[in-house]
Amino acid sequence: MPESEYILELKGITKIFPGVKALNQVHFQLKRGEVHALMGENGAGKSTFIKVITGVHAAEEGQMLLEGKEVHFRGPKDALDAGIAAVYQHPTTYPTLSVTENIFMGHEIIRNGMIQWNEMHGKAQELLDRLHANFKPSDEIGALSVAQQQMTEIAKALSTNAKIIILDEPTASLTSNESEELYRIVDELRDGGVSVIFISHRFEDMYRLASRVTVFRDSQYIGTYDVNSITNADLVKAMVGREISDMYPKPEVKIGEEIFRIEGMSRTGFYKDVSLSVNAGEIVGMTGLVGAGRTEVMESVCGITKADSGRVFLNGKQLKISKPEDAMREGIILLPENRSTQGLILSWGLGKNVTLPIQKKLAKSGIFNDAKKENEISKKFLEQVDTKAVTIFDPASSLSGGNQQKVVVAKALAQDNMKLVIMDEPTKGVDVGAKAEIYAIMGDLAKQGFGIIMISSEMPEILGMCDRVYVMCNGRMTGCLSREEATQERILNLSMENSERDGKEEVQK
Amino acid sequence: MAGKSGRTIKAEQKLTAKQLLFTWEGALVVLFIAVNIFNMSISQSYTLSNVLREMPKYLAEIFMLFPMAYILVLGDIDISVGSIVCLTGTVTCYISNAGAPFPVVILGCLLTGLLCGMLNGFITTSFPELPSMITTLGTQIIFRGIAEISLGGGGSVSYINTKQIMPLSTKLGKLVPVIILVVIIVAVIYTVVLQCTTFGRSLYAIGSNKVSAYYAGVDVQRCRFIAYSLMGLMAGMCGLFLTAYTYGANTTTGQGFEMEVIAMCVFGGIASTGGKGTLIGGITAGLIITLLRIALGQANVNSQMILVVVGALLIIAVLIPGIKGRIDEMKKLRSAA
Repeated sequence: MPESEYILELKGITKIFPGVKALNQVHFQLKRGEVHALMGENGAGKSTFIKVITGVHAAEEGQMLLEGKEVHFRGPKDALDAGIAAVYQHPTTYPTLSVTENIFMGHEIIRNGMIQWNEMHGKAQELLDRLHANFKPSDEIGALSVAQQQMTEIAKALSTNAKIIILDEPTASLTSNESEELYRIVDELRDGGVSVIFISHRFEDMYRLASRVTVFRDSQYIGTYDVNSITNADLVKAMVGREISDMYPKPEVKIGEEIFRIEGMSRTGFYKDVSLSVNAGEIVGMTGLVGAGRTEVMESVCGITKADSGRVFLNGKQLKISKPEDAMREGIILLPENRSTQGLILSWGLGKNVTLPIQKKLAKSGIFNDAKKENEISKKFLEQVDTKAVTIFDPASSLSGGNQQKVVVAKALAQDNMKLVIMDEPTKGVDVGAKAEIYAIMGDLAKQGFGIIMISSEMPEILGMCDRVYVMCNGRMTGCLSREEATQERILNLSMENSERDGKEEVQK
Repeated sequence: MAGKSGRTIKAEQKLTAKQLLFTWEGALVVLFIAVNIFNMSISQSYTLSNVLREMPKYLAEIFMLFPMAYILVLGDIDISVGSIVCLTGTVTCYISNAGAPFPVVILGCLLTGLLCGMLNGFITTSFPELPSMITTLGTQIIFRGIAEISLGGGGSVSYINTKQIMPLSTKLGKLVPVIILVVIIVAVIYTVVLQCTTFGRSLYAIGSNKVSAYYAGVDVQRCRFIAYSLMGLMAGMCGLFLTAYTYGANTTTGQGFEMEVIAMCVFGGIASTGGKGTLIGGITAGLIITLLRIALGQANVNSQMILVVVGALLIIAVLIPGIKGRIDEMKKLRSAA
C-alpha cells in the first residue's frame, strides 16, 4: 500500500451529546507537514472535533485514519502515544511548578524509581533552544507570560515526539509581537515535518500560517479551501451561512458637542498625563499594544481603581468618582474586558445578570426586589441584542462567548441613564456573526447620540468603526488620529516605543 | 432597535412539584418530617409542650445562624463568634452586677457584640486580601482572652440580681418561652432581608463573583462590613439569652458555638464557598439538629453520641451534591455510549 498523502484523515464523524448532535458527519484531511486552519463560529463544533481527535471524546460514528491505518483512541493517552498533542487556548499548566516539571508532567524520565532531574532539565533546555525561548527550564511557570506558558506547552508536545500538534486559539491572548513569535515557531515546526491544526477566529493568523482551511458550521462540515484561492467574503459566508454585506456598519452621524473629557490623568506605574475627549455620537477608539495602559485609564474613569491625579468632566461638570457606583450614577457605563470574571456572574441567570447594576432603581422603595419588573426589563434588553437563549433564567455559563458578550451589552443598555459607554475589547473571542451584531449595536448607540469609547487591539475594527483613534504606548498618550488620518502603519508607529520615531504625528495634533 | 431575528426569550419559570422536592430545601423538609417521626419513636416524652420547654437551652445559638448564613453566602467565614458570646456574656453580668437598670444591661450587651463584629468587619474590609478564617481566628483568641482576663482567677461570674434578667427566660402564656418569639421575629427579618432585598442580592453577587459584583456597582466592602457587624450583634444577643438561662458566664461559655452554627448552615445547603443556599434551608437544618438533640437527650442518649450524629449528618449533607453530580455524569456517559 502506498504511503497515504494524508497523515490524518477523519471521515463521517458524528458525536452526540445528550440531546444534541455536536458533530454531524464531518470530514477532515490533514496533509503531511501542512498547517491547516480550522474555522467556524463559536459552537460550530471545532472544540468537540479536537477532543475526538485527541481521544477525550469517542465518536458515535465515523472513521479515523492515522497514516492510512484506522485507529481507535480510548483516551487522551492513546492519542499522545500515537503522536497527537494539543495545546489549548488557556494553557493548563501547574503554575507553582517549574518549566521542566510542566514539560514532563505525566511522562517523567524515571530510572530505578528515581526521577532523572539532570537529564530532564537538559532535555527541556534542548526543547526551549529549539523554540528560541527566552526563559529557563528552572523558571516557575506562574511567573511567565501567557505566551511563554504556551511555548512551554508546545515544548511539552514536542517532548512526546508529536507528529501532529493541535493549537486551539493560541493567539487569542497574545500581543501582536508575541503572535509573530508564535508564527515563527509554527513555521519552524512545519519545516521540521510536524503537521499542525490551527484553530483561530483571526483571519490574519490563517493567512499568515495556513495553506488550507476547513470550515465547520452548526456541527457540520462546510468545506475545505485553499487559503490562496478563497476570498475573505466567501470565507465569512461559509462560516456564518449568510453574507455579511457590511462588517463595520459605521453610521453617518452628525457629531455633537463634547460630552466627556479627561485632563492630565496619572496613576503611578500605570499611565501618565493622559487627556482625551469624546463628543456626542462619536465612536472613539483607544488602541496600542496590550499593556499600554488603555484599560487602566478607563478603569480609573469608572472608579474601579483610583487615579493619583487628573480631572474628569461629563457635560462640562467635573466628576468625583471613587467607586464604580459613582461612575454608573453619572451615566458612565463600562463593559469590562473579561466577560467571565468581570462582566458576568456565570452561575447566575441571564436576567439577574442584566438587572444587577440597576437593582436598586427597580426595587420597591429601593429595598425589596421586584421580580416582575426585573424579568420584564431583562427580557426586553436581552431580546433587543438578540441573545440566543431560551429563558432569562438560563445560567450565563451555558452561552457561547459571543452570546455572553451580548448579555454584557444588554446589561449596559439596561442602565437608562447611560451617557458614555466604554467598551473594553468588545469582540475579543467573539465569532464573526456576533461581532457584526455588536458593531451594529455600537452604530445604533452612536446614532442615538451617546459617546462611545472602544478599547481594542484589533486594527480592522478600530479602522472600521472609529471616528477618532487615540493611541497609547507605555502608559502615555502618543497621538490622536482622525478617521481620515488613521492607517495601520501610523497607528503601529504610534504604539511602538521607538526613540527614532520622528514624533511628527504627535506634533501635528 | 429590536432583535433582528425576532427571537423571543421566555421570562416565566415554572417549577414542578418534583423539581421543588429535589431542591435542597425540599429534601430538608422531607428530612424534617422524618426526623420528627424518628424522634417520636425513640422518646415517649417527645410532645409539643415538652419540646417547647426544652428548646430554649439550644435556641440561644440559633441567633447566630442567621448572620452566619450571610457571611457564608459572601464566601467568608467568622469563627470568632463563640468568643464574642463569652465576652458579651461576661460584660452583661458585670454591667448587671454593677447595678445598672435592665435596658442598660441589654443595650450594653448588644453594643459589646456589635463592636466586636465591627472590629472583625473593619479588619477584613481594610485588608481584603487576608483570608477571613485567619482574621477571625485572631480575634477569636483576642476576644476570649479579654473575657478570661476580666473573669479573673475564679474564671466565672454570676448574676447577683437574677430577678433582673428573669424576663428573658420566662414563658408567655405559660407555654411559649420569650426566646422562641424573639428567635422567630429575628428569623423572619433576616430571611426577608437575605431573600427579598437588594442587600441580600448583593451578598449573593459577591459570593458568586466578587469582581463582577464590584464592576456592577455593588459596594463589596460595605456589604461585608455590615454582615460582620450583624454577626457580632447576634453573638451579643446569644450571649444575653445564654447567660439569662445559665445565670452567669465562665471561660468556656460559647466554646465551639461557631462550628455548630457553621455546621447548621452548611447542612442547610449554604455552601461555604459562597453564593449558594437560602436561609429557609439553614433554618430548617437548624431545627432538625435542635429537635434531634432534644429527642436524643430525652431518650438518655449520651450527649457525646449526639455530637457524632450531628457530625455524620454534616458530612453526608456535604457529600450528597457531589454524589449527585457523579450519578449525573455516569448517566451522561451511559447515554453517550
